Amino acid sequence: MSLMIKILFLAVSLSPALTLSTWGESLAWPLFGGIELLFDLNPISAFFLLLLALGAPLVALPMLRGAPDRPAYALYALLLLGMQLLLLAGDFIGFFVGWEIMTWSSYLLLLRSSRTDLEGAQSYILFNLASAFLLLAGILVFHSLTGDFRIQAIDQLGGPEPLALAVLFGLAFLIKVGTLPLHLWVPRAYDQAPDIFSAFLSALMSKMGVYGLILLATLFPEALSGLLGRLLNGPAAGYILAWIGVITSIVATFKAISQEDMKRLLAYSSIAQVGYITTAIGVGSSLAIGGALFQALVHTLVKLLLFITVAGIILQTGRRRFNDLGHLIDRMPISFLAVLIGIIGLAGMPPLPGFAAKYLIFVSLIDARWLLLLAAMLLSSTAAFIYCYKLIYAPFLGHANSPEAKTATEAPWPYLVPQVILMGLLVALGIFPGFGIQFLIDPVLTALGLAPIGAPSWGELATPYGGYDGVVLMTVFGTAFALVTGGFFLLRGRMRRAGSPYDLSYAGEVPTADTPLHYGAGMGRELRRIPLIGWILLHTTTGFLTGLTRQSLAAAGLLGGFYGRNPQTWILLAVLLFALALTLVTLTGGAL
Amino acid sequence: MHAIVDSLAMIGISYVMGFLFYGFYRQFNARVQRRWGPSLWQNFFDNMKFLLKTETLTHGPMFFLGPMIIAAGAITTVLFVPFLKDSDWLQGFSEHGNLILIIYLLVVGPLGNALAVGSSGNPFGVMGVTRGLTRLMGLEVPFFLGLALVMLQHETTSVHAIMAAQDGLAQWNLFTNPIAFIVILLPFIASQNASPFDVVGAPVEVYAGPRVEFGGRLLGLLMTQNMMMTVAKLVLVVDLFMGGAGNVPILILKAFSLFLLTASISLVFPRLKTEQTVDFFWKVPLGLGVLGVIATVWLPWGA
Repeated sequence: MSLMIKILFLAVSLSPALTLSTWGESLAWPLFGGIELLFDLNPISAFFLLLLALGAPLVALPMLRGAPDRPAYALYALLLLGMQLLLLAGDFIGFFVGWEIMTWSSYLLLLRSSRTDLEGAQSYILFNLASAFLLLAGILVFHSLTGDFRIQAIDQLGGPEPLALAVLFGLAFLIKVGTLPLHLWVPRAYDQAPDIFSAFLSALMSKMGVYGLILLATLFPEALSGLLGRLLNGPAAGYILAWIGVITSIVATFKAISQEDMKRLLAYSSIAQVGYITTAIGVGSSLAIGGALFQALVHTLVKLLLFITVAGIILQTGRRRFNDLGHLIDRMPISFLAVLIGIIGLAGMPPLPGFAAKYLIFVSLIDARWLLLLAAMLLSSTAAFIYCYKLIYAPFLGHANSPEAKTATEAPWPYLVPQVILMGLLVALGIFPGFGIQFLIDPVLTALGLAPIGAPSWGELATPYGGYDGVVLMTVFGTAFALVTGGFFLLRGRMRRAGSPYDLSYAGEVPTADTPLHYGAGMGRELRRIPLIGWILLHTTTGFLTGLTRQSLAAAGLLGGFYGRNPQTWILLAVLLFALALTLVTLTGGAL
Repeated sequence: MHAIVDSLAMIGISYVMGFLFYGFYRQFNARVQRRWGPSLWQNFFDNMKFLLKTETLTHGPMFFLGPMIIAAGAITTVLFVPFLKDSDWLQGFSEHGNLILIIYLLVVGPLGNALAVGSSGNPFGVMGVTRGLTRLMGLEVPFFLGLALVMLQHETTSVHAIMAAQDGLAQWNLFTNPIAFIVILLPFIASQNASPFDVVGAPVEVYAGPRVEFGGRLLGLLMTQNMMMTVAKLVLVVDLFMGGAGNVPILILKAFSLFLLTASISLVFPRLKTEQTVDFFWKVPLGLGVLGVIATVWLPWGA
């Protein structure tokens, strides 16, 4: 019976793949008053459905381990249904229904973790409901502008309504992608969710916000340029969005460095990585949207890989803090390789595909002449090396720092199979960035009305600013590595393994098993001495929001001061205001 | 066949230039400090001594693989930097790469080695890695911004195209885009791990540096790749700002004059702490870079 349920669950997790491969005609379902529910698969939604189709079974596989958790299976199926509904929707009614199903089913899944506390659960549901209500308000504004619920570009651009629409939709989706200062729910939710489900939250659900942002760009002609005009060589409205994205990345990166828990570090790194996507969407050119989509693809693969691997480590050791782990490289070699591939992708190092995504975004920023944004983005992307190193050093290298870490064994196969598949996908995409551009990115760009980037061959990434060849790069590096290693063994002399892990150059002393030698949680602590980073780490977003509340209350108090006990004061004020208004009318020639 | 001979020639030239330049640096340094100093060939002798040691201590497979990765990274970097202009030779695979790729390749090796340092289990080594990554975070921002100004000027990321655009002395980016050169100069010195930004792995800091556990042939390999990487970076800046070189003697001359400039700056400043380095880079070179961007991009005569 339980085997049947597991097989059924696995089949359900394949449903996005099935939808993607068999979807034919568009569906229309008449509702009241001449309004129809439309469902259709366009290239944009197909791209995000592909991410879902890839990720859903890989997350489902580790969930199969042990006795079947039936409520979780049911909620997961509901979540997949909601997300497919959202992606296939051709009008905002279906979109909203899908969005709500996704919000509620993920909330209930989140509650199933024993670690979820009241604060975490409340912040998750409050922020996501706020996002849903902002979306609803935006949909109503949209309806008042176009008289229709279908997702289409708006013709009328004058007046405050398009701006209101952009702000409402923008806020709704920025909450979902976890942009500062609306990200408060993200680290709590990713940290407290069931370990495997965190992978789904970070890799796939944050992409629904990205999908929303790209939809938002399609509502306005010329990718947001129509909204506020242009700045240098890009849209001015996008410039604001791009800075929001970059500041999010910088702050989240430094927060990630200072975390002492693996899952919280990954949560902040998710915020930072999705920040790059926000930036690229702000630039809005063909190169930038291409980079944003590529980054979305890479981030999905990398975060699935890293969260599943970390879930495996937590399962085997029961520890999640950097201080409590160490030297798992011998005991969990496949997990080590998975984290290694994951951080190379996360840091955007060549030859893995993270570099292709970064390259496209950097080039698009140069093309838009937004060099200050480029410098800011580079700051966050270089600082990311530090948390990437922390993520691999603290659990896998150094010295084992707890009894569990000394005896742990490799994660069970339901965790390893998705890891191996994801590693393969990442390496393949790194060698063949042109393949990704040609078959995954270009159809979306064409559907968005942008020029496709194109690829001369599968291995090549080509832009008007130059490109690189992933196959040549991988071959050169691989050959060099083989030759150096081979040559090294040809030299005379022998290698000797150190007698014990305490056989170290330790400033003239001989360390013992009691000497604290693991540098796990302390790493990055000294960064606080750098003024900018110290300032960022000293201030929390909660503090910022509290300050905002205090300022609002103070402003309200100031306003309340006008309504004193003495009626003569406010009669005087009213007269003065009236006189001021009259003066203004006279000065502007009665145009007011 | 051409590619193999060409690659070997590039590796050979970068190695020979590397040990000669470092030998000169040690002489130069000594003379400034009124010492005699070692011979010009001393770095070659030191390197050979390390590479021919009979016994090498390791701390496990990852510890062994780190130096291999960093050496492979150095060779890859050398092969992706074009050494000569308008020539079939000494090009390596630079046609298949670009400037942004090279900047990232410069970091691949050190990150690979950082894994080896971590797996040695020495906390001081890891402290050195963290210092190195922190310094990288400081220097990379102005360095990249300066190079971005050049990429914007020529509207390409291809090193070949940037080199080809500088025909005569008057077209050198050093003269057409001096702000960019000033912006990258100090971060460039830091990326060469030279004084005053050499707190990572400086002679008296070895015990808190990434190399603390390495010895014998592994240390020799680290030294070899360091010399090659230094030359690759010098040639890259020659390509970008000094119009590249038509033949090997000119290349050596230009690279050497650049090396002399950076060495002279290095010799006269005392070492900075890591956080001072980062703070300095984010204030002075980055501030200059921001002014450069405002002057060349934002103001109406730019664009």
